Amino acid sequence: MVGGTMTGQVLEVPPIAGAAGESIVDYRSLNAMLNIYGADGRIQFEADRAAVREYFRQHVLPNTVEFGSLEDKLRFLVSNEYYEAEVFEPYRPEFVEELFDQAAGYQFRFATFMGAYKFYQSYALKTFDGKRYLEGFEDRVCLVALTLAGGDEALARGLVEEIVAGRFQPATPTFLNAGKKQRGESVSCFLIRVEDTMESISRGVNAALQLSKRGGGVSLLLSNVREAGAPIKKIENQSSGVVPIMKLLEDSFSYANQLGARQGAGAVYLSAHHPDIMRFLDTKRENADEKIRIKTLSLGVVVPDITFQLAKAGRPMSLFSPYDVERVYGKAFADVGITEHYDQMVADPRIRKTEIDARGFFQTLAEIQFESGYPYLLFEDTATRANPLAGRITHSNLCSEILQISTPSSYNEDLSYSEVGKDICCNLGSLNIAAAVDSPDLGRTVEIAVRALTAVSESAQVGSVPSVERGNQASHAIGLGQMNLHGFLGRERIHYGSPEALDFTDVYFATIAYHALRASNRLAQERGQTFEGFADSSYASGRFFDRYVEDPAQGVPTTPRVNELVAASGWRPPSRQDWLDLRAAVVKHGLFNAYLQAVPPTGSISYINNSTASIHPIAARVEIRKEGKIGRVYYPAPHMDQSNLEYFEDAYAIGPEKIIDTYAAASRHVDQGLSLTLFFPADATTRDINRAQIYAWSKGIKTIYYVRLRQEALEGTQVEGCVSCAL
Amino acid sequence: MAAIELAAEVPGESAAAAASGPAPGTSGPVEAIDWNRIEDEVDLAVWERLTGNFWLPEKVPLSNDLPSWQTLTPAEQELTNRVFAGLTLLDTIQGTVGAVSLIGDSLTPHEAAVYTNISFMESVHAKSYSSIFSTLCSTPQIDGAFAWARENLYLQRKAQIVLERYNGADPLAKKVASTLLESFLFYSGFYLPLYWSSRAKLTNTADIIRLIIRDEAVHGYYIGYKFQRGLALADPARRGELRDLTFELLLDLYDNEIDYTRDLYAGVGLVEDVSRFLRYNANKALMNLGFEALFPADETQVNPAILAALSPGADENHDFFSGSGSSYVIGRIVPTEDSDWSF
Repeated sequence: MVGGTMTGQVLEVPPIAGAAGESIVDYRSLNAMLNIYGADGRIQFEADRAAVREYFRQHVLPNTVEFGSLEDKLRFLVSNEYYEAEVFEPYRPEFVEELFDQAAGYQFRFATFMGAYKFYQSYALKTFDGKRYLEGFEDRVCLVALTLAGGDEALARGLVEEIVAGRFQPATPTFLNAGKKQRGESVSCFLIRVEDTMESISRGVNAALQLSKRGGGVSLLLSNVREAGAPIKKIENQSSGVVPIMKLLEDSFSYANQLGARQGAGAVYLSAHHPDIMRFLDTKRENADEKIRIKTLSLGVVVPDITFQLAKAGRPMSLFSPYDVERVYGKAFADVGITEHYDQMVADPRIRKTEIDARGFFQTLAEIQFESGYPYLLFEDTATRANPLAGRITHSNLCSEILQISTPSSYNEDLSYSEVGKDICCNLGSLNIAAAVDSPDLGRTVEIAVRALTAVSESAQVGSVPSVERGNQASHAIGLGQMNLHGFLGRERIHYGSPEALDFTDVYFATIAYHALRASNRLAQERGQTFEGFADSSYASGRFFDRYVEDPAQGVPTTPRVNELVAASGWRPPSRQDWLDLRAAVVKHGLFNAYLQAVPPTGSISYINNSTASIHPIAARVEIRKEGKIGRVYYPAPHMDQSNLEYFEDAYAIGPEKIIDTYAAASRHVDQGLSLTLFFPADATTRDINRAQIYAWSKGIKTIYYVRLRQEALEGTQVEGCVSCAL
Repeated sequence: MAAIELAAEVPGESAAAAASGPAPGTSGPVEAIDWNRIEDEVDLAVWERLTGNFWLPEKVPLSNDLPSWQTLTPAEQELTNRVFAGLTLLDTIQGTVGAVSLIGDSLTPHEAAVYTNISFMESVHAKSYSSIFSTLCSTPQIDGAFAWARENLYLQRKAQIVLERYNGADPLAKKVASTLLESFLFYSGFYLPLYWSSRAKLTNTADIIRLIIRDEAVHGYYIGYKFQRGLALADPARRGELRDLTFELLLDLYDNEIDYTRDLYAGVGLVEDVSRFLRYNANKALMNLGFEALFPADETQVNPAILAALSPGADENHDFFSGSGSSYVIGRIVPTEDSDWSF
């Protein structure tokens, strides 16, 4: 392998002996030993390291194509249409050589079997027959850097450093696809509006197919579609509502996949006050009829403040016909703002309405979450208030962290656009908090990440859905995420959710927000261009910065431990003067990106990057991961060893309150959303889930992603010595 | 077994019931089941666990396994079909004969109710194999597998041995046979889907199997527990007799199981690995019945990948590309109160 150090993985790890004294060499078995305590009662970390070694020795190295030189290799890969020739064109050949050398110089090693396995299974370039590897980790990083830097040598070098050092990790679609000739798109996710017309519904299904084919998840807003039984062409009881559309979408997503790399996946969002809401939820019931059961489509419910207030008062909640609301207000149901107009709509006889019990509604949400983990929740008024741009947040995406404004499209009879609205796409990448804290220059790390993500947005080929293309060109929205919070806290021996942990979260996220805004401001200055709608945003008026310049406590360490941590690091939280200067620069020159941050759940990439996922606590000290393509693999929490186990409590033990507090501290500094998963033991009740929802909403959380339950094995039935059962 | 202590003594009338069968259908007034008077807390705990675990195969997106099914060789596909046909046969027995035959011997009405649940879920299991078949295979393949199940000597012998006990008069011997079936005999079949899933194949099918294992673990535990309750009432001679019977039956089934394993797995070189797994589960079945392990620890070292895949308390992490997995349950509903809404 030229330009990589793959043989470096075959290190001197002592052999692992089985019970009968024989040496275990099957890497799957070695990896699975993580989940079974050793004879001394300790977690068998060394078995996993041996699994990495054996995996390289037995599988990766024998199945990797060898080349005489980097030049030979690149010539072969380009001429055989594995790599895109255009990627290399803007660079000098000597520079490319230097870049691969630079990447190799970091002596990268996969920390876990999971990381190595995931990389080679899902990311590395393979021969067309799928049998041999053509890339190692460093090769992939160089291709990503060359692609995103677009000829800027300094940026390419910076990207290689940030990615190989593990500080920045692009999201799966970018990391998987960049530089490959046969590939899907680099963009992570798409959000599509569906309006109350057959043309718009058809376009929605088409978008699901087209965008799944190119990669990434797609979510669709269904709130505007008229309810079951609503009139069509003034004839009553004609519409069949949202459920049949969901079935169409579910099948569309199953059909389309990205060259088999990733199955299409989608979500649909519906307002809590849409008349079909209960039918929508019942599609996830355990005993739902096959005709209406939804298996793989994800559901989200959009909940305004008024729903909580009605439930508090013990009052019924009215569900409003979107068909009538659109006629009365002259705009789509989702754009009206239910909290603001609730009393008016209740009083308006032109709007058909039905009533359900508001507390009963929340209870049903919790019941379905018990059975299926769905729906996601979007607290639309909170999200809209926190949004710096003018307009309402009406829906989110497949992971509930993208929150942007959109505008409707309208169509002619032949499905051509009479008006191209703005739909949403977003590309993501995450910083590894532990590595970022150790960065020699955190501001530079953030700036390189912002520039890389902006490059993805600018190169996105989304012409198949013109409304997405228009939205993307108007906003250059990106989502810089974060992961490995729990790993970092564990490493520093700080308990997740403790005052020190919350203090750190606040300081860190404020610092990231500052550097991200500064980077986007620099881009605006360099290009002499701002995002569309900047003039109407709270950035332009400077109001966005009030919280930082007026409240001296925001983003400043308050605990001795965090003061210590910051003092020992190479960076400082922004001062009031820094914020004042930034405000002046933004008001004057604007921002290039309409949206900058979004904290995704980070599944796959956190394994490769050796991070704990996102900013939530670990699900288990040794996590069992099942994915369609990879089977069951075991993953130990990063930075965990025998000495610091107590700081690696799992999410079920930590409980929802501390998770919500952590997300609330981060949310204040994140312009979009954060995927927040709630974890409960199986003896929890619907009331426990409802209380967590109420707490989250009252703390200013914008969205709730999955609700996850863990059932303890009935005593007497568990597997003996199993790490994940016993903890 | 340490989890639930055996009561020192069992009320006399229940003891009588154990010998003569419960009230319905016999002379005297018929008693309605009263869930507010629980005689054995285990009945309620197991009932709640089983009903909370209710599931149907339709919830698992089996069709996502089609691409990986197509990567199996014809021989591997045939093996998989035969394994599932064998499992279907066992679940058919347990659903329509085994669990039903235990009802008459119940010590409490709640125990009888638990058996009806077990019986029903066994039929759900049997049907879920059909869901797997119909998703992955063609009709001739399915017919072939069922024909094989009819004609396979070892499978039929396994069924005969168990059915003999179920049709016999000894209520405790029935429980022994039933526990061995639930905790031991299924596992020669369960091995294969767990093996595939550890190799990233048929992972949604493995979810169904884990749901089934989740149920069977509780069934085996419960029937074994009820056996122990009955055993506690017996005199020493009868106890010795039941102990001998258990080990004899186990060894009889074990020998047949090894032949069955060889017949199925020799072609793929997994005989030794499956045999270890069998011994591991044979020991678990004995544990459920309150007896000591038969096979020494070094004979039961299961492949860690299989053992880890077995764990019923799943800590799996799912994303939206996977199904809901084997860890979601039907929740307990408790309405919120005013104090919960004090924001």
